[in-house]
Amino acid sequence: MDFAGAYSADNLKFLLDGLYVTLIVAFTAIILSFLLGCIIGVVRYAKVPVLSQISFVFVELIRNLPLLLIIFFMRFALPEVGIKLGLMTAAIAALTIFEGAMISEIVRGGLTSVDKGQIEAGRSSGLTGVQTLWHIVLPQGLRRMVPPLVSQFISLLKDTSLAVIISLAELMHNAGIIIGHGYNYTIPTLLLVALIYFTVNYLLSVLSKRLETKNA
Amino acid sequence: MIDFHKVEKHYGHFHVLKSIDLHVDEGEVVVVVGPSGSGKSTMLRCINRLETITSGGLTVNGVAVNDKKTDINKVRRDIGMVFQHFNLYPHKKVIDNITLAPVKVLGVSKTEAEKTAMYYLEKVGIADKAQAYPSQLSGGQQQRVAIARGLAMKPKIMLFDEPTSALDPEMVGEVLDVMRTLAKEGMTMVVVTHEMGFAREVADRVIFMDQGQIVEEAAPEQFFASPREERTRTFLSRVLSH
Repeated sequence: MDFAGAYSADNLKFLLDGLYVTLIVAFTAIILSFLLGCIIGVVRYAKVPVLSQISFVFVELIRNLPLLLIIFFMRFALPEVGIKLGLMTAAIAALTIFEGAMISEIVRGGLTSVDKGQIEAGRSSGLTGVQTLWHIVLPQGLRRMVPPLVSQFISLLKDTSLAVIISLAELMHNAGIIIGHGYNYTIPTLLLVALIYFTVNYLLSVLSKRLETKNA
Repeated sequence: MIDFHKVEKHYGHFHVLKSIDLHVDEGEVVVVVGPSGSGKSTMLRCINRLETITSGGLTVNGVAVNDKKTDINKVRRDIGMVFQHFNLYPHKKVIDNITLAPVKVLGVSKTEAEKTAMYYLEKVGIADKAQAYPSQLSGGQQQRVAIARGLAMKPKIMLFDEPTSALDPEMVGEVLDVMRTLAKEGMTMVVVTHEMGFAREVADRVIFMDQGQIVEEAAPEQFFASPREERTRTFLSRVLSH
């Protein structure tokens, strides 16, 4: 085990570059997939005609495919029909679609869990369906969604490592390159990368605990 | 003010409301009693279309509630509703529970709405709880907030759906007191309840429902002293004997 060699300044910088890409991809995908998930979740919750049925098919289709296949699709299938995405864009697009489908179910579940009496109170006071959703159901539902959402975001962050398959220079990819450079770099490098993933994800869940207690 | 004409309602094969004819005048307090499952809550909820009717006519202030062309949100502005389980918005402070509908539905300014809210909170006796969250209040206090919330829309009609059934016994009185005051002030009220004392004292008219039908309706003195129908007598002997 060559810790000194594996943790050379150049290698560490290289890993940080990878982490940077991982974080950019993860946080962009978290924001986009959350938006997508909210839209689909609300459409399905409110049973918006036509859109709701389309969303149902979309969610069922995406949920039952491996993420890896979707990443492949973005990177290798789309160019064949004339849509060329950069490496990072392809990864973000794949993650957004896949995690968005997952998140939409969390959103729908959260909204459905709000007591029917809340809706009746809103509607009977003359609020429209949309106003009731916005002022009464959504704020209550969102609070309940925090724990499962954070789990999903942590999954997403870890899933960014699958982009190694399309040679996106994220953390896992760069770790692989460092491992290939020295005789005994494998264990030190993987330990460090594990520590990095753990730290980032752990911070995320600590943050969510804060959010939960604040909102309780 | 409220007019049921041969109203029928079916839930699938279940016939919930059978040929309901009921007329409520302005300023009248009508109390609906009957065994559970008799359709009294369903009938009440038809008035603001929380439940739809299968056939017959139902008008509120002359507007056909179940007409497709009716803007139900407009009808509901004039009908306050108080629920068995209060249904306060747990994520909003008491004051914001009350101002939400006036601001969003009536377009009243926030300051104006807060002034109105404080007026009604004062009226139901809990102005000091304006900044509290519903979970910090007792059941009786929550229900009084719910009444204030309904009143803040300045409705023409107030509907009460078993407003004291979920309360601890020692809190029933404070809620009934508020309702009693409201009745005295001339509010048109339809109250579904198991509180026979309230019915006897406050109602202008008592309606007895059983198995989806209005079995008997009478002034409270007559209703409690000499009910005409056998089913009413059986019901009354059950609820008044303990």
